[in-house]
Amino acid sequence: MVTVLDMPETTSPITLNQPAPAPEPEVERGMIEIDRLGFAYGNHQVLHDVSLSIPARAVTAFIGPSGCGKTTLLRCLNRMNDLIDSARITGGAIRIEGVDINAPSVDVVDLRRRVGMVFQKSNPFPKSIYDNVAYGLRIAGVTKRALIDEAVERSLRSAALWDEVKDRLHVSGYGLSGGQQQRLCIARALAVEPEIVLMDEPCSALDPIATAKVEELIRQLKQQYTIVIVTHNMQQAGRCSDHTAFFYLGRLIEFDLTTKIFSNPGQRQTEEYITGRFG
Amino acid sequence: MEGVADPRILIPARSTSRRTQVVVEQGIKAFFGGNALVAVVVLALITIFLFREGFGFFGQNLANLRLYRQAGLEYVDIIRGVSMEHESLSRKLSEIRLREVRTMEKRNVPLEEINAKLAPFDQFASSFSDTAETLHSLVSDLTEKASALKEKLFAQAELLAQRSQLERAGAQAEAARIVVPEVDRTAALASLHQGAATYESVSADMTAKLYSLFAAAPPLPDPAAQKNFEQWKTRTREYLAALPAASEKLRTWSSEAEIPWYRSLSSFLFGREWITASFWQDWYGIIPLLVGSIMVSIVALVIAVPLGVSSAIYVSEIASRHEKRLIKPYIEFISAIPSVVLGFFGIAVVGQAVRAASQSHFFKWVSFFPISERLNIFTAGCLLALMAVPTIFTLSEDALRNVPRGFKEASYALGANRLQTIGRVLVPASLSGIVSAILLGLGRVIGETMVVLLCAGNRIAIPDFTQGLGAIFQPVHTMTGIIAQEMGEVVRGSTHYRALFMVGLVLFTITLGINYLAQKLVTRFRMSIG
Repeated sequence: MVTVLDMPETTSPITLNQPAPAPEPEVERGMIEIDRLGFAYGNHQVLHDVSLSIPARAVTAFIGPSGCGKTTLLRCLNRMNDLIDSARITGGAIRIEGVDINAPSVDVVDLRRRVGMVFQKSNPFPKSIYDNVAYGLRIAGVTKRALIDEAVERSLRSAALWDEVKDRLHVSGYGLSGGQQQRLCIARALAVEPEIVLMDEPCSALDPIATAKVEELIRQLKQQYTIVIVTHNMQQAGRCSDHTAFFYLGRLIEFDLTTKIFSNPGQRQTEEYITGRFG
Repeated sequence: MEGVADPRILIPARSTSRRTQVVVEQGIKAFFGGNALVAVVVLALITIFLFREGFGFFGQNLANLRLYRQAGLEYVDIIRGVSMEHESLSRKLSEIRLREVRTMEKRNVPLEEINAKLAPFDQFASSFSDTAETLHSLVSDLTEKASALKEKLFAQAELLAQRSQLERAGAQAEAARIVVPEVDRTAALASLHQGAATYESVSADMTAKLYSLFAAAPPLPDPAAQKNFEQWKTRTREYLAALPAASEKLRTWSSEAEIPWYRSLSSFLFGREWITASFWQDWYGIIPLLVGSIMVSIVALVIAVPLGVSSAIYVSEIASRHEKRLIKPYIEFISAIPSVVLGFFGIAVVGQAVRAASQSHFFKWVSFFPISERLNIFTAGCLLALMAVPTIFTLSEDALRNVPRGFKEASYALGANRLQTIGRVLVPASLSGIVSAILLGLGRVIGETMVVLLCAGNRIAIPDFTQGLGAIFQPVHTMTGIIAQEMGEVVRGSTHYRALFMVGLVLFTITLGINYLAQKLVTRFRMSIG
């Protein structure tokens, strides 16, 4: 019982396990190219030989059972794994617009500004709503009040939160509900005008109504941003993504249009996972 | 468990087992409850004892202050104040001379030449101090009279107290046998009062002499010294102008004027002198001790806060796992050093080193160096900082570690570097925890006794703040130090004994306040993180 909403007709399928049909002209190459990536925590190999091409201005979902490496892969995309001592890349490369993000010449601060992230648990800073959204700009050295004001309003509008908070911008972000907090975190990520937004199970702690709002938001945001979302919720992947990648035990099993994955998966494991036979 | 012993019955007979269970449960409850009760009761008793002994101070101190007035000591002290001020002006003159000599020495002027140049100034200084000869002798004369009267009055009061005690005990006959001598207070006070007339003639004489001396004041070769000298002259003129005020006071002074009850409290809380076992008058003013404790604590915190908080930040955010394993236990280990050992180290090493450093050529530019005292506020503060660092470090590190990982990740994901993340997210998020860590460190410092007793120099005096930062290189006594030092020697129940209890109470109030504040902050901190 999978219903796919808002499926765009224009984007082309990008697959790896099957020979891809000749790409249509508007997407000749993915925005993010993951090329035979291997990744390990200490001696524990988490990702094996993952190759994937994520298209621009579309939503790509990573699905798979717990521990399959999807979150790890997501965190590789903005090098959040650098914060973990034992984490290391064991092979392959990730290229964003053709640039290897792990190259020594790449400034990680700059990379993270271009690749925003929204976390599983909403994590606003213990500051006011305004200061939360302004944080990214301030650390980037923006001091002009007018610029910050404008960016805060724009981001909160993009996150569909402006109308709910515009009268209390200077109260603590903790006064908001769980769903609002998560949208605040999305606004915070959008304020620095990233090109790519990574979302790590953004709705796992939200109730169905808040989830619906965030999903609606994700569908709107893909007009401007490239979105990669990790989710445990099959319906969610079906509802809001254009492409879906299925991972199992650190390997990419299948990557295709979401419609294809959910209606006619190419691999038996994918089908079993989607239909709920394991996972 | 007797039921288990019987192999045929798997579940022991209910009635007996239940009863034993109830008994055991009650026993356990009684054991823990009893322990808690003993602790609470003992603490309550200590507090009550502290308050009871301390509050007796006010009555006794009031009697002490009344005797001060009735025996005319207060009267004499008015004149003594004038004479002391004269002495301090005289000292100022020799200070000016010393500075002048130093500056000339720096310019390599030979000693004979210096002395020759300063000869007129010396002449001036010695004639200045001569002008107070008669005043000094008047003071010492009156002092003798007043203290004789005080002794008599004191003995009389003692005997009266003894008699009333016997009467209360029912021994009327014995009580009647105690002869209380009459003290002729009026005659003694009248003879004191003659001092007023003498004082007036003396002060008139002195004023005339000093004005003629001023006219012949010699100039000083150095402009800076000349400026000091001019300042001194202004001060002396003010002093002379104030002389009639003292004589007015003497005329209106009466031994019978009532001393209000609150003077007993205010002379303790705002008194600037702590003088005990004196032949003249005992003063129990907490200010020098309080200032000493506060100064030492401030110095300790100024040193300990950056060290403790920075190392906490380093260990929780920057250090590798290997470094963490080394640094954390090492810093916490410092708190295992007994304070007496630290104090000993302070005397033998830190104090010595600070004095040696202050004498070195390297620090010649510092105006208040070289310092004369090896044991001073700074030495004690350094050592106390060592004791406060582990407290501040451990608790701050806890607070930093308890900041949710999400804050850190969100900050990094927005493109913050490590410094920005620490400064804008981690420290603000754990600020109340860090502040409460600092407060608990302060509580530890202000209550610490051994180190200050050994290293603070134990001079009961308010530091001379006119020296600026130099004030922290002066010896002080502290509230904790004075209790430890004097409690063993005082007579039980005496005013001095009770005054020490009052000092203890003040200390108790301060540490209680600090701990309460820290607790409140910690709860707030937990709430904001939770």
